[in-house]
Amino acid sequence: MEILAQLIVSGLVVGMIYGVIAFGYQLTFATSKTLNFGQGEALSLGALVGFSTVSFLIGNSVGVGFAYLLMVPVILLFGLAQGAVVERLGIRQAIKNKSESGWIMATIALGIIFRNLAENIWGRDALKFPSPLPEAALSIGPVRIQPMEIAIVVGALAMMLAVEVFNRRSIFGKAVVATANDRDAAGLMGINTGLVITFSYALSSMAAAFAGVLVAPVTLTGAAMGAVLGLKAFAVAIIGGLSSGMGIVVGGLLLGITETFTGYYISTGYKDVPGLVLLLIVLSLKPSGLFGKPTIKKV
Amino acid sequence: MRSKFVVTALIAGTILGGGAVLSGTTWAADSIKIGLTGPFTGGSSSMGVSMRDGVKLAVTEINKAGGVLGKQLQVIERDDEAKNEVGVQVAQELINKEQVVATLGYINTGVALASQRFYQEAEIPVINNVATGSVIASQFVPPEFKANYVFRTAANDQIQSTMIAQEAVTRQSYKKPAILADATNYGQLGMKDLTTALAALTVKPVAVEKFNIGDTDMTAQVLRAKEAGADVILTYAIGPELAQIANAMAKLGWKVPMIGSWTLSMSSFIDTAGPNGDGAMMPETFIQLPNTPKRKAFIEAYQQTYKIDRIPSPVSAAQGYDSVYLLAAAITQAKSTDGRKIREALENLQTKVDGVVTTYDHPYTATDHEAISANIPVFGVVKGGRVVPAHPEDLEGDKVLRMKPKST
Repeated sequence: MEILAQLIVSGLVVGMIYGVIAFGYQLTFATSKTLNFGQGEALSLGALVGFSTVSFLIGNSVGVGFAYLLMVPVILLFGLAQGAVVERLGIRQAIKNKSESGWIMATIALGIIFRNLAENIWGRDALKFPSPLPEAALSIGPVRIQPMEIAIVVGALAMMLAVEVFNRRSIFGKAVVATANDRDAAGLMGINTGLVITFSYALSSMAAAFAGVLVAPVTLTGAAMGAVLGLKAFAVAIIGGLSSGMGIVVGGLLLGITETFTGYYISTGYKDVPGLVLLLIVLSLKPSGLFGKPTIKKV
Repeated sequence: MRSKFVVTALIAGTILGGGAVLSGTTWAADSIKIGLTGPFTGGSSSMGVSMRDGVKLAVTEINKAGGVLGKQLQVIERDDEAKNEVGVQVAQELINKEQVVATLGYINTGVALASQRFYQEAEIPVINNVATGSVIASQFVPPEFKANYVFRTAANDQIQSTMIAQEAVTRQSYKKPAILADATNYGQLGMKDLTTALAALTVKPVAVEKFNIGDTDMTAQVLRAKEAGADVILTYAIGPELAQIANAMAKLGWKVPMIGSWTLSMSSFIDTAGPNGDGAMMPETFIQLPNTPKRKAFIEAYQQTYKIDRIPSPVSAAQGYDSVYLLAAAITQAKSTDGRKIREALENLQTKVDGVVTTYDHPYTATDHEAISANIPVFGVVKGGRVVPAHPEDLEGDKVLRMKPKST
């Protein structure tokens, strides 16, 4: 029982990280039916910029916790800007040409460029991100958890909630939803859909950058840290369904818990297999994802 | 047609051969070129950079003292990025373009195995000064091959895994070890060596767990070891993931000793694990401790030259430094920079080389290319961010400088 609880909690934390990154995939897919395959690199870049900002602040005798809080808005802004750049360079032209696959190559290429850039600026060594919270684990009932792991879950949920509320309540958010529902109709209603798509990319990279600084204190920071996470999150987006924010969260948790369970109950050598099997099952039984709305393509 | 081809080949051969002789003579005038390769960037760069700095320190000293055969040593350094394919390119460049007389380096077993066959074919000696994979120095052993051009100044994995097993089972009487190894060649080959070494002591690991490079969560692996009732964790992995293990153990509030290969002395493990890494033990050929005059001089020179207090990887630095002196002694004895003659001199070295790790007295023979024997490494332990001797009595009196037993 004790072990079961510990495995679920560890799986939840890992799953939540996958969820936030996958949330970024969902944001851009909703408005433009395209994805940023450089999402993992957006995460690494965010974490590295966060690392430099925190180090700079600590160097100027700001406390670690306060430095971390000050760094968060910097990271969010950086993520927004990075996402806008990706959209401008990799997506806009592809959408204009109605290219089916141009954006795939373009975002992969941009991801590689961003990774090389990061390697040149920060080097290829993994860096230790200063933890804003005590690193000693807390005992809650039978479960032991690090304070930073709680922060990951809370921070991830808060960010996703904030974006959802923004989309549902604000006038600009309504434009996003309208574009997601029907881009052409939204365009005819006078919504600048191009701008909305740029904005969704900005939000998507912001989510990734935020995920980067959340996960950095419990792992190591480096240009390659996002590669595996970005791929896992892609699986989550497929499992949960690319059109559903709720599905993304559930998909993330499902994958995270499956992984820790397999690692413990079957073998640590096969930890990654059941997640992919799950992906194949979902794809063959419900291709739009567990929570996705089936799309009907009119030809 | 055929004869025409032969003629062309002959002409080409003459031109190429002549070219080689020409460039040989032009270089002979000023310097002796030595290749230096290792990962100077990436996950294992702390070892690569320390090794490189140790090599350069020795080269500077030798050049200041007048060089070798009256010529200066010139180091041609190339980053292999810990990638097998880059290592192969580097080997070909150093052999064909730079025409080095010998090469020092290799941190990663995979890179060494992929690249050194080019040196073997070109009959140019290569001294592995850090890579530990058991097969490295015995890949081309006679009589199957005419002569072996691969030498080593590091403690191989067989030596290390035997030491780890004996320390855990015999000295500290743990009977239920769990092995945690990464999924790379290094981790999996080391895991096999460890299992064999444990079997020799009639102990079977209670759990054998695996993880990937870059894994962020080790809860499942550590929980499995804990539930299997492990009383000690034996590791074969590199710094960042080792730190994740130590941190996962601390998180789960479970504390058993960690004993593992020498990578537990990597700064990326020590710095990332922080207090959680304290007490981890590993076999070391050299600990940053000035307990002989040579070691004192080496540590001081390193600290002054590179303006640091803690050598990132003292083992790599010392082994790199010693490899240069061994090579220089061999070239001096051979009175030549011909690869074959240098190899012969290395295999029958008449002068004793006073190194940092040990004093090398006939370190190699035609069939034994391992300079480090099982009695040389001692156990280090992580304490307050540094590696110190785990059993200080191992380094007392006449045991300070441990030498390879004379081969028969």
